[in-house]
Amino acid sequence: MTTVDTAPAVAPAARTARAWRTLCSSRTAVIGLAIVAVHVVIALLAPLLASYDPIAGDASQALLGPGGAHWAGTDQYGRDVLARVLYGGRYALGVSVAATVVSVALGTVAGCAAALRGGWFDDLLGRVLDAVLAVPAVLALLVVVTALGTGPAVIVLAVAVVFVPQVVRVVRGAALAVVPADYVTAARARGEGTWSILRREVLPNIVDVVCVEFAMRASWVVLLISSLSFLGFGADPPTPDWGLMVAENRTAITVVPMASVAPIIALATLVIGLNLAADGLSKAWGVDRIREGS
Amino acid sequence: MTPLVSVNSLSVAYRSGGRDVPVVREVSLEAAAGRTLALVGESGSGKSTLAAALLGHLRHGSRVTGGSVEVDGRDVFALPAPELRRLRGRTVAMVAQNAGQALTPSMRVGRQIAEAGGDIPVIDLLDQVRLPRPAELARRYPHELSGGQQQRVALAMAIAARPKVLVLDEPTTGLDVVTQRGVLDLIAALRDELGLAAVLVSHDLGVVAHLADEVCVLKSGRVVESAPTRQLFARPAEPYTKRLLASVPRLDDAGLALVRESGERDIRPRAVVPGDAPVAVSARDVTVDYGRSRVVHGVSFEVRRGEVLALVGESGSGKSTLAWALAGLRTPSGGTMTHESGDLARPAQRRPMSLRRRVQLVFQNADTSLNPRRSVGDAVRRPLRFFRTAGGRAESAERARRLIADVRLDPALADRLPAQLSGGQRQRIGIARALAGEPDVLVADEITTALDVSVQAEVLRLVDDLRRERDLACLFISHDLAVVRGIADRVVVLRGGVVVEEGPTEAVFAAPRHPYTRRLMAAALEPDPDARPPVEVTPDWADAAQEGDVWTDHGDGHRARRWRPADTSATPDAPDTPPTSIAEGVS
Repeated sequence: MTTVDTAPAVAPAARTARAWRTLCSSRTAVIGLAIVAVHVVIALLAPLLASYDPIAGDASQALLGPGGAHWAGTDQYGRDVLARVLYGGRYALGVSVAATVVSVALGTVAGCAAALRGGWFDDLLGRVLDAVLAVPAVLALLVVVTALGTGPAVIVLAVAVVFVPQVVRVVRGAALAVVPADYVTAARARGEGTWSILRREVLPNIVDVVCVEFAMRASWVVLLISSLSFLGFGADPPTPDWGLMVAENRTAITVVPMASVAPIIALATLVIGLNLAADGLSKAWGVDRIREGS
Repeated sequence: MTPLVSVNSLSVAYRSGGRDVPVVREVSLEAAAGRTLALVGESGSGKSTLAAALLGHLRHGSRVTGGSVEVDGRDVFALPAPELRRLRGRTVAMVAQNAGQALTPSMRVGRQIAEAGGDIPVIDLLDQVRLPRPAELARRYPHELSGGQQQRVALAMAIAARPKVLVLDEPTTGLDVVTQRGVLDLIAALRDELGLAAVLVSHDLGVVAHLADEVCVLKSGRVVESAPTRQLFARPAEPYTKRLLASVPRLDDAGLALVRESGERDIRPRAVVPGDAPVAVSARDVTVDYGRSRVVHGVSFEVRRGEVLALVGESGSGKSTLAWALAGLRTPSGGTMTHESGDLARPAQRRPMSLRRRVQLVFQNADTSLNPRRSVGDAVRRPLRFFRTAGGRAESAERARRLIADVRLDPALADRLPAQLSGGQRQRIGIARALAGEPDVLVADEITTALDVSVQAEVLRLVDDLRRERDLACLFISHDLAVVRGIADRVVVLRGGVVVEEGPTEAVFAAPRHPYTRRLMAAALEPDPDARPPVEVTPDWADAAQEGDVWTDHGDGHRARRWRPADTSATPDAPDTPPTSIAEGVS
């Protein structure tokens, strides 16, 4: 009987192992994920790594260039730039991950449901999403933020409004390729509900598309959230945040260039890491835009 | 005369996991102008690899590990790329299995044929492949043609540059028997007209017997037996060839053939259905519509417990639509369908659970009927849990193993993924999944069409065993009359959504009364090169059924729809009529 009990675990374990192997075979994916991992570790360990308080200013130390005491110099309020950059990833990563998870999760469920139900539901959802997509992303974000005020929860909501339609389109395309398969028909003939078909039959077969979609959306979300901060709609001063730092220090860029360049480098490496990961994952798992139908 | 194609101890292998896996092993063969050489074998025998090698093409990752392929005196694998390109099309041309995919969907067929090269006008080529109204047809897009017409267009493209060798990879697989017959006759005619050397790859021994001059039987990349067609079919030398031949169902079998290891056939008499067996499913005047077009026009039938009823017809005859309606996937627009425990006219989701599990469907294509990401044990466990036919987790796992054993598979396979099983094994799992609901009606939709001939025989036997053991009512859907012959107790012949003939299997096969049934029987290809059509075909006929006077009765439940010979002035049917409904989408 032991074999029977362990049976369900065997296939998923083998599958995870295979997914991991193909992932490791792609150098792009490994490098990308490594960069992202470094950013995550830095954000988590920022209190240990930084030797200054990122918020406390010291007017006597304002506008210093890089030196022994302040490796990346200080900004106009005398705050240590390095400490602010190290802490700045916390906001960017935290809000971005939350926003991406919400967008991809909602988009996946809606996309699969649209592919599975078809008919008027699919049509209606498609037209509504088209309407949302017609509004430029930053404009839509600003509308939501202006109406509901700032704060992480509002930013997550705003990003979801912008990105869910795009995720829905991609996932719907991938799910449409699975839905006509006979195993889905068999589940329908059993009379299973939409949710159970979606979870048992459709999702496992598009999980690679969803993963790639997640990595790709994450890089866009990071950029978008930083743009919001730059425009003054994201993090409130004096929160250490990359977008906000660039906005604060761009007027002093000729005096202390590092104060603007350091957060830009941090942001750029994170986005490059996410992009490499998305690219590598999609190649390693055989997902490309043609198959996604979008 | 020197042969046009000569393959000298060719070996092909691909690399997998750091070592060579041989696909073709030291195969030698020759084909001469005006002759047809057939490569026969089951899936995995290397026949398609061999066919592609004749065009100097190998699948990605494969390479020639020994021997050579000479076509028209040139070694194709030694040719530089530009010359190889010239060789393809001008000297050797290929017709692929699925013409629907071989044609570009966004280009008119006339332009595609013109692109294939050669100086012959497109219209003449279309005329040569016996397509009616070639000028009009050239302006159509591939999707506007039927499967048979697409295959004819593919043939026209292949012969456009007047090649010397024609390689045909399963040219008629997936076509109906009647269409298949037409395409095969055309290939034979073209070969004779143009003096082509034809190399035919097929798993269908009926096709081979009909077309080939010499046959080469392949198994696991090796030539098992090579002989002139007549000799091979009359006196096969190797046990493998004998078994293969014996596995082919024939129109004159009185029951299912059981093939012994030595290749002898035992005919197992059909199970006797007791006269008082209860009716499991009955359909009365069922109509099904797709949008505005009606694909099933008032079909009635009954299936009793322990009985196999065959629904036979070409694609577009509405047989798969009827299966879907029974399974609750499509709601009939009229008529009644009843099960002994409830009404079947409602879609699956609205049927009570107890009724839903009683009617189960087995799919045609075992490759897509199982979720590739879930173990096969999981596929069988799901309905057990869903229909609550098994209690707890442990019980359902145990029941799933028993069901897998019931379909004559090793229960240890439960942990495998579908991709790790063969086509026949997957189809058995599909049957096990259907049995998990403890149904009393099994709807089998072309379940053997995609299988190799020996596997097909095993699956047919399994279905026959199961209906005896479990007293199942089975609706067996097929386009192949020979397959139906051994297993069905009664036959219903459908044409365009209308029943044209029905009756006990023996009676229908002994004396088919309707011209359409006769046409189907005449088109069935027997594995015997000297086989004559068992019945005479009435080429022209018209429907003569009238309100209140639809049937001519031939006794014992055997009846045919009324018909009359057509006026001689009427135009005969075109060889392939284009699809008139979207019913093909599900068949």
